[in-house]
Amino acid sequence: MTLIAPTEAAPLAPRGAGGALEIRGVSKAFPNVQALDDVSLDVRPGEILAFLGENGAGKSTLLKILNGDYQPDTGTLSMDGQQLRFANPREARAAGIRVIYQEPEIIPGVDVAENIYAGELPRRGFFIDRRALNQMVDRELAEYGFERVLPRRRMGDELSSAQRQLVEIMRAVKSSQMRVLALDEPTSSLTDEEVDRLFALVRRLRSEGVAIIYVSHRLHEILQLADRVAILRDGRLVMVADAAGLTEDVIVRNMVGRDLGEVFDRRRATTDRVVLQVEDIRSDWHRGVSFDVRAGEIVGFAGLIGAGRTELAKVIFGELPMSSGRILVDGREVHISQPSTAIGQGIGFAPEDRKREGLVLIRSVLENTTMAIIRRLTRFRIVQRRMERRIASEYVARLNVRTPSLEQEVGKLSGGNQQKVVLARWLAAKPKVLILDEPTRGIDVGAKAEIYRLIDELANAGLAIMFISSDLPEILGMSDRIYVMQGGRITGELPGPGTTERQVLELAMHEHLAAHRASQQMATAERESR
Amino acid sequence: MSETQAAAPLPGKGPESSPSTPRVGAAERESTARRFINAVGVDNLSLILALIAIVAVVVWLQPLFLSWQNLMNSLSQSIVIVGLLAVGETVVIVAGMLDISVGSIASVASVTAASAIVAGAIALPEGLQLPIPFTEGSMLAGILVGIGTGVLLGAVNGLIVTKLNVNPIIATLGTLAAFAGLAFLVAPEGKPVGVVTQPDFTWLATGRVLPDLPLPELGGRGWTGIPILFLIFIGVAVVFHVLMKYTDFGRAVYAIGGNATAARLAGINLTRMRIGMYMLCGATAGLAGVLLTARTTSGNPINGVGFELQAITAVFLGGAATTGGKGTIVGTVLAVLLVGVLNNGMNLLGVGTFYQRVALGVLLIAAVALAQWRQARAERARTRTATA
Repeated sequence: MTLIAPTEAAPLAPRGAGGALEIRGVSKAFPNVQALDDVSLDVRPGEILAFLGENGAGKSTLLKILNGDYQPDTGTLSMDGQQLRFANPREARAAGIRVIYQEPEIIPGVDVAENIYAGELPRRGFFIDRRALNQMVDRELAEYGFERVLPRRRMGDELSSAQRQLVEIMRAVKSSQMRVLALDEPTSSLTDEEVDRLFALVRRLRSEGVAIIYVSHRLHEILQLADRVAILRDGRLVMVADAAGLTEDVIVRNMVGRDLGEVFDRRRATTDRVVLQVEDIRSDWHRGVSFDVRAGEIVGFAGLIGAGRTELAKVIFGELPMSSGRILVDGREVHISQPSTAIGQGIGFAPEDRKREGLVLIRSVLENTTMAIIRRLTRFRIVQRRMERRIASEYVARLNVRTPSLEQEVGKLSGGNQQKVVLARWLAAKPKVLILDEPTRGIDVGAKAEIYRLIDELANAGLAIMFISSDLPEILGMSDRIYVMQGGRITGELPGPGTTERQVLELAMHEHLAAHRASQQMATAERESR
Repeated sequence: MSETQAAAPLPGKGPESSPSTPRVGAAERESTARRFINAVGVDNLSLILALIAIVAVVVWLQPLFLSWQNLMNSLSQSIVIVGLLAVGETVVIVAGMLDISVGSIASVASVTAASAIVAGAIALPEGLQLPIPFTEGSMLAGILVGIGTGVLLGAVNGLIVTKLNVNPIIATLGTLAAFAGLAFLVAPEGKPVGVVTQPDFTWLATGRVLPDLPLPELGGRGWTGIPILFLIFIGVAVVFHVLMKYTDFGRAVYAIGGNATAARLAGINLTRMRIGMYMLCGATAGLAGVLLTARTTSGNPINGVGFELQAITAVFLGGAATTGGKGTIVGTVLAVLLVGVLNNGMNLLGVGTFYQRVALGVLLIAAVALAQWRQARAERARTRTATA
């Protein structure tokens, strides 16, 4: 296979170079979370500025403000001395700012060409001028070297997520007014060839005077591509520096480096009794995963989004199919074909997306709390209401769920209280193993602390807990042991106490690094041999 | 860290916990009127008011409406069939699905039940016979064969929806047509099976309970007793009310309709439940078919035609949500009464059949539009309080 070097042709249209995008004192708060705190930053034309930070550091919020999805509480955006206020993404686009998210909107029923030119199709009379459209799209795809990775005739619903992103990028670059382009983790789903093309495109746009914001978790990529690096932590800008001379070390230290240890109290005595043992699970998402969880132990599962952690939980719980492997509960092999079997074997699972997967929002707190055990509360199939209410109020009180009554619709509670109802359900079911997938996502600090305390209590009571989280301080603070996953595999096991975020991040990302280096060496070798 | 501590009161500690713990005894403190409204439900209250209004209009235009003859024969009989179908349909709709085939199921059951009683065998195509022993001349056996037929066809619906993953509307639209054809195939030479010779069986339609109550004349006719048919319907409605409201099965139905994924992840076996619900719905359709046979004294393959529309209309009018998760048997029964009074009233007033059909169609759309509006309002209220 030969790689075609991107052509260095003249741009399709001249892009007007002007002043920098100036972000001044931007803050944004959500209920109980200060997502951005007084961020000031310039994004200069003709430079690639990398945004770095952990999940929840504020990168997405900043992008959403640039895109006009959110409005800042305080602070301003301006360009050429003119203040900008966007009520919606269309206004941001009109001002020349384009943000490309990981999951762009694609029209499923039409092909790539029409998707790229959606809303501005060339017309002849009443009809779409197909020939003109095809010519334009062919020319542009060839121009940027995407003609092979993005077939013009492919329908929208047949595109991979990488191709969807390329469509969105093409939509953006064909506009001559584009002055700022922000890419949100564009390479997470791209193949190496696509990454090379994308980098070439980004560099070319830089040479044309576009200001580029590049968000990524992949440090090596950033060091290769970016001119400057901006690091966000807990909504604050903690570092802005030229990329030249920066090392991964310095970046990681700045990305993490906070101490939340005091929230977590670890006074557990874990036993040696293995409750959940998983041997060599293989599935569409996993390439041989083995681990164990002991009674009274909190075992953390860390990794980047897409590492296969949620899918692992769902495979164990019988919600996703497993192609091979063994699951043992209390040393006995169990065959789990669906969630009800898993529950029967003493496994509980609080899913990540509580609104879509955890709760029946239009039903009451009572019904949601007793949902997993309702059969046990019946006599001759009739629900024993008094017993049900007693059990539900016991757990609702124990979790301190703030609700006006047991009859309240769960959908009317706050996020933290909804999460507590999910936990109440599984506590009431008295499982041996409890799988928690991002149990504190999207809930306020106070509720988080309550949930941490509760998880601790449960572990102390002898429950085996599988704790999936993308929040590094949380997973380090809570876990007795940590498994780090990447690409459907466990890449390392670390002890909870004493482990640093750095160690976890390296295991979560090292394969990307290695694979990318290898592919680059191959590409270079091929180019040289040509 | 002190912030974190302050924001998170320990359970049972601090003043925050007392107002936040659920007020279990709250119901006792509420007023009688409030309790009544809660028991009936706010949505059902508006149904009751609408029913009263329609009855008032009909009586005003046609006083004959209020005669024992009309109430105990025409009205109650037309309510029973739609009512049985609607009660079964409620289960399926609350679970977020639909069954359009109930009319056809009733037709098939009507024929099989009649064949079993008259001949002790069900006729199959090509002159074959499926003997069903000990059914000849037995009312109970006829009922069981009819219900059994419904359960079987309901299972077919359920299997198509769950195993073949066909959208319930399309699946049962298909079986609506297929079962309608089947009804003719199981009838000997496609002809109705008469049951006039089976007085034991037709008693289901003619029988009366408490014929001797000392009630005054109404509309020039004396009291004749409550039709057995009507009592059967009430009995079935009560059973389904208990099933939906007080059993774990009912809980699962509401959970599946509210959020199928969450229900499955809480250990509910969706496939088994869904097939079971279609079987239940088929059972009521089968019973409706049996009663249709008794009423028309004939196991006629067109007996059930067109009833599905009225049944589905009643369920949505009764407050069920099109997306599932909401709806009650009480609401459905009230809506069946409403549809029944409307039909009966239009008959008495001499409104033509074609107009009646238009009215029924409009009612279905109005019922669903109303349900959607209620849902949108509830949705708004939910997002408002959740973000507050």
